[in-house]
Amino acid sequence: MAHKYSLHAVYFCTGCGIIEIPPVITARWDAERFGVIPVPTPRQGNLFMITGYVSVKTLEAIIRSYEQMPDPKYTVGFGSCPINGGMYWDSYNTIKHLDKYIPVDGWIAGCMPRPEAVFIGVTHLWTLIDKGKADGYLRYKKNYASYRKNQEALFGELGWPPLYELPNWKKEETISKR
Amino acid sequence: MRWFIAQIILSPLFALAAGIFFMGLFRVIMARIQWRYGPPMAQPLIDLTRLFSQKTVSHGAIFDFGILLSLAGSLVVILFLPMGNMCPMSGSGGLLVVLYLMLLMPFGGALSGGGGANPNISIGISRKFILSLGYEVPFLLVILAVMTHYETISLVEIAQHQQEGGWAIFSWSLFLSGIAYLLIFPAMLGIRPFDVASAPQEISSGINVEYGGKYLALAHIEHALSLSIGLALFVNLFLGGGSNVGYFFLKMVVIFFGGLCVHAVLPRFRVEQAIKYLWKWPTALALTGLVIAVLMR
Repeated sequence: MAHKYSLHAVYFCTGCGIIEIPPVITARWDAERFGVIPVPTPRQGNLFMITGYVSVKTLEAIIRSYEQMPDPKYTVGFGSCPINGGMYWDSYNTIKHLDKYIPVDGWIAGCMPRPEAVFIGVTHLWTLIDKGKADGYLRYKKNYASYRKNQEALFGELGWPPLYELPNWKKEETISKR
Repeated sequence: MRWFIAQIILSPLFALAAGIFFMGLFRVIMARIQWRYGPPMAQPLIDLTRLFSQKTVSHGAIFDFGILLSLAGSLVVILFLPMGNMCPMSGSGGLLVVLYLMLLMPFGGALSGGGGANPNISIGISRKFILSLGYEVPFLLVILAVMTHYETISLVEIAQHQQEGGWAIFSWSLFLSGIAYLLIFPAMLGIRPFDVASAPQEISSGINVEYGGKYLALAHIEHALSLSIGLALFVNLFLGGGSNVGYFFLKMVVIFFGGLCVHAVLPRFRVEQAIKYLWKWPTALALTGLVIAVLMR
């Protein structure tokens, strides 16, 4: 209940999507009515919004920010680029599917989605939270080995230790690689 | 004896409830000034519930201890402050103890920040201490003027004198000191134009950077208590305290509303601009006020 009405958002300003966020949080559309306010650090937030295309370089920062947020946390992909690459579908340094690397609870499709779409997304997230379907943080913990595998396939060696304990076969594989 | 114990329990509870109410009022009134609808008044409570139920990461014993010290410091200050007719520790210490104990709050925050080891925290702490260096000078002069005028260090007696003989801010000898206190008031509450220490856009909210979940909830509670303390001190020193809690609360709301209007329209000072301002006009007024208070004894 409290998680629903107090979504403190970390807007990850990767691409052009961030241009829609100032109208969302200021006087015209006023997201604070829904309890959604921007916070300056991932430690304080529980809603992670990826607004725009995700290049390989920013994905690293996205994963680190995501892992720093306290549970329970919700991720929303904003715009068509995180969904399937969007207009960067054939770009060599843009990832096409964000949910291969971090779990995503919902998408707001469009190029660009209007501010109203953010509110529809937020109210839809409320119903998902009520039904217990916004369980991205649980899926991340459960399938951490496979997420980590995808991340390592992209970056090679990751510069930080695993967030959760990896299963034994995974540990051996990492050691033999070194 | 029973009334004493009841006061020890009720006084911090009243301060906490008032502080959380002020945080809600803050967000609603800011929204209305910016032509927004704004969150419900209970939004800080919803946030606190959410934060307390989140999983958190600790950065070590000092990190935990600092925030607790800061919270304990503000709770102890409240026991020494008269809130209307409630003042559990009225017999001892008075104003000097309040001044001394008020240092515990930023000190605890600084300790906790040292454990957090984030560069933004260091900047936030240094800004907070530089700012308090700025407002402590006029603040101490104001306090000295009040103590000289009423010839006592007891806050309860100061409030009682005012209830009998008129509010201090409307008396000839303390008028300038009252104005000086009003000028440094935003700096003491940490609202604009003096929100350098917690600037979210520059240094990612300074001291609160590494707090998440329960730590952030404790930091919010500490903020609520410090709001109550700042307002209660002003009401006791210059607006005649209150004969009961309701009347006292009403005075606090009026002062807080004034502070909000300042907060809503002004941008943020840089830290050296803040020092320049604080050491010029409020200090000059407070010094003149002290001289007048001494001469008119």
